[in-house]
Amino acid sequence: MESLKLPKDTMLGAAIVTVTGNREAFIENYKGILEYTTESIVLQGKNAKICFEGSSLSIDYYTNEDMKISGKIDALRYI
Amino acid sequence: MLHWIQYLRGYVAVKVWGYSVERLLNLCGNHDILVWDIEDHGDYHTMRMSIAGFFALKPLLKKTGTRAAVLGKYGLPFFMSKMWRRKLFVAGLVCCILFWCLASRFIWDIRIEGNFALTEDVLMDYLEEKGVHTAMKKSALEIETLEQALREDYDLITWTSVQLKGTTLLIRIKENEMPVYDDREKDAGTQGMDLVAEKEGVVTYIITRSGVPQVACGDSVQKGDVLVSGAVPVYNEDTTVRRYQYVEADADITLSYARNLSLEEEVAYDEKCYTGEEITIPVAGAGEKEVAFRFRGIPYAFYDTSEDKKQVQLLDHLFLPLYYGKRTVREYEIVPKMHTDEEMKNLLQERFRKIISTLNEKGVQITKKNVTIKKNDKKWVLNAHMQLEEPAVKLTPTITEPVDDSEEEDSQND
Repeated sequence: MESLKLPKDTMLGAAIVTVTGNREAFIENYKGILEYTTESIVLQGKNAKICFEGSSLSIDYYTNEDMKISGKIDALRYI
Repeated sequence: MLHWIQYLRGYVAVKVWGYSVERLLNLCGNHDILVWDIEDHGDYHTMRMSIAGFFALKPLLKKTGTRAAVLGKYGLPFFMSKMWRRKLFVAGLVCCILFWCLASRFIWDIRIEGNFALTEDVLMDYLEEKGVHTAMKKSALEIETLEQALREDYDLITWTSVQLKGTTLLIRIKENEMPVYDDREKDAGTQGMDLVAEKEGVVTYIITRSGVPQVACGDSVQKGDVLVSGAVPVYNEDTTVRRYQYVEADADITLSYARNLSLEEEVAYDEKCYTGEEITIPVAGAGEKEVAFRFRGIPYAFYDTSEDKKQVQLLDHLFLPLYYGKRTVREYEIVPKMHTDEEMKNLLQERFRKIISTLNEKGVQITKKNVTIKKNDKKWVLNAHMQLEEPAVKLTPTITEPVDDSEEEDSQND
């Protein structure tokens, strides 16, 4: 895999999480949303769940490919 | 940019509540329904989605056991349907914009700046003559030509700037501050000018700068007498006149003359006493016609009428021929009264003082004056005998004196 230099997200189905400061997060390549409250957002990845914790969290937009979260992010955990 | 696309396509704000909103979101993602601004409010969630997305939402709601309600509709499609219900308003709006566009193609106001010697009326009349007036088309105005014409037609104007600012035509000019010399002297070679007495009197002062003096100090002159001649004779050797050289006569001359003045003032007079009674009548007018809003007559024997009218004005300089205002009718009574001696004296003296100050303004000097006041029961008469001095002269063309041409030719032949 390494030698072929193929993008890992497409091959492994790994989620890409881009966090800007602690105010914005941009997530690609996820399966779905499991939980959404203002304190936590839990997303389903291929192998693990991604959990955003914080306060006044909101989803700016949500599509099948990507989504954007804004609010005050305190922690990002893989469960 | 995205906001604009969303606005153009239209979107709805939806409130969603029920068993599993997260599942609904997943299904939306799978069905390619774009949702944004998703917020959690505890019991319910709010989100925004496209109109097509909202219609595709129904089966998903059933599947997930959630319910949705529309909170608001935004965007152009909703705005258009709202406007369709208010056709008259839209028509008015369109008419207003059209009128605005149409009206802005005309000149509605003309302003002139920088004129001191040339009055605004003169320039406005000139512009009118040139076809420049309010309510003319902007496209018909040739700025360069107008600037040039202003400079050419008025020697006094040294600089012009014509500018169109919106619907205002701004004309700025600069007048020549240097004095304009008249070119009368140029003509003096062919025709001279005499100084002639304007009044009958005695010459008290004469200093000649150019021309030949015909009178001396102390001489009595009649009106029309030549005081300084503009024809300067050039003599032959035998003291006969060879020819005349014509100049414009110039001299300081003062003439002294006597003037009698008589002022009368009646002791009895009628005084207007306002009774305090007055009626205010509203008036309105269009053009020459005027309507007063009072249908009864005026119950006073003697009255004064004063009107205070205002003209309807659109811009600073654009007046419509419509007026409004009020007319005040005040009643008065005529009371016969008598002046006291002191008042009579003051009245006469005031009138006399006014006459003297007017004379002073005209450059007339009073060298002597003898004032007497005669009184009787009915009227007072002020008699004044004054000796006045003034430069009462004027320029008139010299009457050409005939010279024997043959003699001149002879002398040249010699």
